[in-house]
Formats: sequence, C-alpha cells, structure tokens
Amino acid sequence: MDEIKVMDDQKRNESLNRHVELDTTQFIVVQLGGEQYGIDIKYISNIMKMAKITRVPKVSDYILGVINVRGVIIPTISLRLKMGLPENEITKKTRIIILTLEQHESIGVLVDEVKEVVTLDEEHIEKVSYEKDNKERFLSGIGKPDERLISLLDIKSVFSDVMES
Amino acid sequence: MDTSQYLDIFLDESREHLQNLSDEIMKLEQEPENMDSVNEIFRAAHSLKGMAGTMGYKRMQTLTHDMENVFSEVRNGTFKVQPGIIDILFKSLDALEEYVENIQQTTEEGTNDNQDIIDALNSVLKNKGEVKPADKSAAAAPDEAAASAQPAESESAADAGAKKPRWQEISINDTEKMLIDKAHGEGLNVYGVTVYVEEACVLKAARAFLVFKALEKLGEVIVSCPSAQDIEDEKFELTFSLIFISGSTKDEVKAAIKSVSEIEEAFCDVYSVPEAAASKQPEAADKKPQEQSAEKAKPAAAVSAPVAAASAKPAASKPAAAKPVASRTVRVDIEKLDNLMNLVSELIIAKNSLTSATAAAASNGKNDYTLVNEQIEYLESVTTNLHESVMKVRMVPIESVVAKFPRMIRDLSKKLDKKMELYMTGEDTELDRTVVDEIGDPLMHMLRNSADHGLEANDVRVANGKPEVGSIFLDAYQDGNNVVIEVRDDGAGIDIEAVKQKGIERGTITPEQAETMSDKEVIDLLFMPSFSTAKKVSDVSGRGVGLDVVKSKIESLSGEVEVKNRFGEGSSWIIRLPLTLAIIQALMVVIGDEKYAIALGSIQTIEDVSPEDIKLVQAEEVIRIRDSVIPIIRLNRVLDIPPREDEGKKNFTVIIVRKGDKQAGLVVDELIGQQEVVIKSMGKYIKAPKMISGATILGNGDVALILDTNALI
Repeated sequence: MDEIKVMDDQKRNESLNRHVELDTTQFIVVQLGGEQYGIDIKYISNIMKMAKITRVPKVSDYILGVINVRGVIIPTISLRLKMGLPENEITKKTRIIILTLEQHESIGVLVDEVKEVVTLDEEHIEKVSYEKDNKERFLSGIGKPDERLISLLDIKSVFSDVMES
Repeated sequence: MDTSQYLDIFLDESREHLQNLSDEIMKLEQEPENMDSVNEIFRAAHSLKGMAGTMGYKRMQTLTHDMENVFSEVRNGTFKVQPGIIDILFKSLDALEEYVENIQQTTEEGTNDNQDIIDALNSVLKNKGEVKPADKSAAAAPDEAAASAQPAESESAADAGAKKPRWQEISINDTEKMLIDKAHGEGLNVYGVTVYVEEACVLKAARAFLVFKALEKLGEVIVSCPSAQDIEDEKFELTFSLIFISGSTKDEVKAAIKSVSEIEEAFCDVYSVPEAAASKQPEAADKKPQEQSAEKAKPAAAVSAPVAAASAKPAASKPAAAKPVASRTVRVDIEKLDNLMNLVSELIIAKNSLTSATAAAASNGKNDYTLVNEQIEYLESVTTNLHESVMKVRMVPIESVVAKFPRMIRDLSKKLDKKMELYMTGEDTELDRTVVDEIGDPLMHMLRNSADHGLEANDVRVANGKPEVGSIFLDAYQDGNNVVIEVRDDGAGIDIEAVKQKGIERGTITPEQAETMSDKEVIDLLFMPSFSTAKKVSDVSGRGVGLDVVKSKIESLSGEVEVKNRFGEGSSWIIRLPLTLAIIQALMVVIGDEKYAIALGSIQTIEDVSPEDIKLVQAEEVIRIRDSVIPIIRLNRVLDIPPREDEGKKNFTVIIVRKGDKQAGLVVDELIGQQEVVIKSMGKYIKAPKMISGATILGNGDVALILDTNALI
C-alpha cells in the first residue's frame, strides 16, 4: 500500500514519555491553503496518499465519504471545509491523515500537504487569548518554532460534533 | 472435587431439565392420568437431583429430592395429581430456576431454603395427595424472606447504636495494602476513621462529601466503606468508615472532620492491616451471595478520587453487578461440526490444487489460466458452503425462548382470571444465537399485552359472540432473508379513537392532528416512550406498557415491528428480523458513476421498462407489471446522484423489491452482478441515512455502500 506508517507504538510511547519529561509536544505540520496547521502527533495513527473516497449521501458537507484502510471503513472529512475554507483541489501532495480519537474509532482528514514534524516546548506555544470566534474556536494555541506561525489545532473541539453523533 | 469446569454443562442441562419439567407438568395439568408425563417428570427430577448433588448444591438437591418423592408416590399409584399439587410443583420449579440463576451469577446457589415449598411437598406426601388449604404456601414466602432479612438489619442497627470505631471491618485488597505499606515507608500516618452523621441530618451524602473534602486537604483517602460511589448516592446508614493516609496527627484529622456540621461523632486512630486482610470477613459468609459479590466488588470500586485515579476509574464506573460467571455457549449438532470439518479439508485441497494449477500455468508459458480459473470456481463454492455452515452453527431454533411462554400464559390466565390458550407454530425456526437471546423479552411483552389488554374478559367475549376461551397465536416462519414472528390474538383489537383520545389527553397530539391522522399513525403513537410511562393504559383497550422498549430492542437487532389491527376482531403484531448478520448475497448495481449493493433477499425480479411505461398516479411514478401497480423510486434522486445524460432515452432497469406485502421498483443505471459481500460498520463518526445499512469492500479495495431497501419503501 502507498502509505507511510508514522511511527510504531514503541516510538510513540517514547515520544510521549519525552513529552512528559521535557514538556514538549510534537506536531505534524499540514498545509491548508496559505496557512499551516499543527496536529498533535498523539492522535495520528497513519498518513496515507489520496485514496478513493466513496461518497455517502445525505451527510454534512464537510464529510467527504468513507475510505478503506486495511479492511476497516473510515469516514473521511475535509479539514478545509470544516475550517470554512474553499474546497480542496486534489493534487499529488494531497494526503489523508488518519486520526484515532477514541479506542477503535478513527477518522480520516484530507489536507493539502503534510510538511514536517516539529517539536515545540511550552515556551514556543502561545495560548490563544482573544475572543474565540469561528475558526479560533478550533485552536489550542499558536506555535512559533522559528520565524513561522503555526496554528495548533485542538483536535477534540474540531471533531466535537462528529464525536457526539 | 473441583466442579467449576462442569458449571457450564450443569447450567445448560439444568435449564433443559427444568424446561422439560415445566412442559410435562403443563401436560399433566391437562391430563392428570398421563403416566408417560409422570414418568418423564420423575426422570427429569431425578437427573436434576443427581446433578445438583454432584455439584454440591445441597438446597437444590433437597428440593428436587422432595419433588421426586411426590412423583414416586404418584407413579406407584398412591395418589393422583390434583390442581393443588400442580401449583406447588410450579412453585418448586420457580424456586429451582432461582437457584440456577444464582449459580450462573455467582456460582453459589443462594441461601433461600424454600422451606415452605418443601413443607408443602412433604405435607402432600403425608396427606396422600390432599392439599391442605392451611399449608403455608405463597403467603408464607415473603414473610420468611422478610424475616431472614431482619436479623441482618437489626444487627447493623444495634451496631450503630453502640457507636464504635468500625474501620476494621473494611476489607482491603492488595493494591490498598501496598499503598498502606508505601505510606508507612514514607513516614506518613495511616488512620482508620469512622464517622457518625447525626440522625436528623437531611443531606447525608453532602455531609459525607464535605468530610471527604476536609480530609483530602490533609492527605489521601485510600478506601472507604461503603464505597465512595455508594456514599455519593447516599447508600449508607448513619455511619461510614475509611482508611486515610496523612502526615497530620490524629487530633488534627479528628478536628477536620468535626469542623463539618451535623457530624455526631468521629473516631480516628492508627490503622493496622488486619491479619487476614485479604480473606473475606467472617460475617460476610452468612450473607446472601448477591450481597457477598457486591461486597467483594466494593473494595475495587471504593478507591477514592485522588489516589491512583487513572487506574481505579474504569473499575469504579462499572456497575457492581458482576457479569455472569458462566460463559454463553451454543450447543452444536455434531453433524454440523462434521460438515464444517469436511469443508475445511476441502478448502485445503482447493488451496493445494490452486498452487499446482498456477505452477502449471507458469511452466507451460502459454498464459493458459483455464485450470486456475477452474480451481478458483471450486474455491468459491467451498467458501460459500463454509460461510453457510458457520452461520448454521450460530443458528439456534427459537424454541429455547418460546418454550417458556405456555407456562407464562397459564400463570397469566390464572392471575387475570381470563380463560385463554396459546397456540404456537414454527418453534423450530432458526435465528442467529445473538438474536434469539435478545428476542425473548420483547416477545414476552407482546404476549402479555395480548393477554392483558388484547383479550376481553370471558363474559364480554360470550356477549360478543366469540368463543369464551381467548386465543393467542405465536407463529414463526422464514420469509426470504427474514424471519417473521407474529403474535396474534382474537381479542378486541386496538380502539383507534380511544388511543387518539389518550394522545390528546397526554398532549402528545393536538385535537386537530388527531382529525387527520391515519390509523397507522395512531398505532405508531403506542410505540412512543411517553405512551408507555403510564402504569395502566388498560382503559384504552390499548397496549402501551413498554412497547417503546419492544420497538427499540427489535430495531437494535435491525428488525422492525408492524401492527395489523382489526377493531373488534383482534390485532397482530409482526416482528421481522434479518436471518443473518455480517455476510449477505447482494446484487451490485451502478447508479450514475457510483456502485451500490442491494441485498438479494429482498429482490423479487428485475424488469426492463421503456420510458413510456412509466405512468403518473397522484403525481407518483408507477409501473404496471403483471397486473400489479408498483411505485417506482429513482435511486439517483434519492441518493443525490446527478442523472446520466442519456436518462429517459433508453429503457430503464428496474429492480422490484419487496417488504412484507409492499413492493417498489428501484431504477438503476447498470447491473454488475451477484456477489457475496461482507457487511462492515462505517464507524460511529458518520451518521449515514437510514437507507444505507452499511458498507462493504469490493475486490479492488474500493468501498461500496449497501442499500437497505426496507428503509426506501
């Protein structure tokens, strides 16, 4: 299959341990339109290339459909539509990130491009303090690894409506 | 002797014997002279006694022994079976069932001696079959139960009166012991604390909470009795005890507790782990096993919030009611297993032939795959058969659930003082084990409804020109890919007007709505939760008690309930359940450029229809096929798929599907063919519409959705 397994469990545990010790968090940086977003690596189980998405009728707009990931059927959403951005254009760089939010329950997220993994310690993360409106509602903070600004996604609130249903 | 490994068998066989006894005693009630039944009962009681004895269930053994004695006398012709004896026998059966139930839950039979029943049986023996009205029968039972419960209560009351430290009664487990040892190691004090709340205190739980809060400032509560959850739910008398780790002195701890108002007394002293801490408390042995198991479960649930919260939380959130000790089993006909075995060996042969066929195809180099294809076809037939066989192993006749109904109707008939008969057919209809296990309660509900609300009183029936004895029918049969279970009665039927009236009274519907509602919509009201909250809706002729539960249960099994009502003549309640889960035969179709699967079981025919044959009736598209008018459904519109360019220019492919006696024609663009598909769940993060019953993965790895035609019609 044309997919990259991000890290096996052992490595993940190591990274989690390190995270506890040094108060750092690793994020996968993804491109959405002109902006970069960070997704906490602890939710990510897999990043795969674009796969055939089967449309499901009569569901919310941002739900693109379902995909087959090694025999398991996983719903897939467009992060662009969810964040109120225009629809995705499928390119060679388009990726589907499989997030595991609860045990045995996963969801695929379509993004324009996966850039890199950044490790941020607490002092490089700025909490969002201003009045939370539509988009900022989904952010847990702003990461500043170097010159750049990365909007860190609060995964649980991005998917709160999906998880409830 | 360790008998635990035989527990499953014991439970299975006991149930079988009990069912057998129940059937035969029913028969005996009809024909008291039937010697075959007497012999059968004697045999069953004897086996049951032997089994209970072997397993060490003394009370069960004693009771069956006395039953056996009675039958031994009947067999010898000393006396004859009388209605009074039958009643006692049924009571004995209920008691035995209770034992079996207890054994399944806790492996212990319980402590109920059922002395009243034993006395009744013995007095039957003594009096040569005469049943003395003075016998302490049913009335005695609750008294006795109450009496046995009394000492325990008064004991605790006496204890409470004495007001003494009670923390030594807390049973602790290894984790807690470890925590205590660790605290000692760190130079912290471990205290036992017992708190008495004032008798006049109204919000005991709130006071207890404040005590916990005060203590948590000073240290950590490791375990409490009753558990933190029970204390929170106010499930305690006036006192609770806990073990507490703290760096403070005991006076400080005492002062902290006393600072909470309405606390009458607080004891606090250094806690030492009792010698036999791990073993059960001696007094617990006298208690009923249910209580015992709850008791055992408590320490696990009792760890309070701050300590090891992460590990303890899941345990604490689980209800104390432990899951049955015995596992669930399916008894499989040896023939079915042999069949499976054969198929597996065939599968291996097929694999081997396939290997050699591919090797041959590769070596001759002429790309000649006929041999391979032949083997694939063979493999296909083997896997199909294998699937069928495995499904068959999971299938059990519904007999196991319905067998208890005749007895239930007999009891209801006595209780309601109505004469009624239950007629059952199709008990051998098979369903998946999981479905059979779940279907019992809904069916019982419906039968009760029929008996209680459906059938009229005997004199009313006679006045209406009906036979005095009411009839209830339970018919089960297979219908395509479904199994249908029908509960029917020849009673009064549902009084639509009365239900409407009730709906208006309850505010479920407005009078205007009531005017325009169809009968079906009115009947649907009965399935609404608000309708069933009433304890008694009998005045509506109606049903209503728990029908919403029935409906949701059936729907959770992907089945459905339909009601046919003939006012004055009775009503029938039809449950339709899927025969199998997981794997179905499906027809793959293309709509627009999307592929869908339709279960083959619901498909009747496939028709080629020219566009001119589609007619409009009341603005609905219909077609006429062989003298029946069938509404058509354009799937591309239902599924939001853009129509193909050539739509309407060539003939339509229409799939005629059936649901009960309703039909519909589904318009698709192309047929791909028949295929076996594995139904997969789509996960809970997507709320698919009802017409999509699941998804499946095709040979090329793509996902196709499965259409539930029942939801479309």
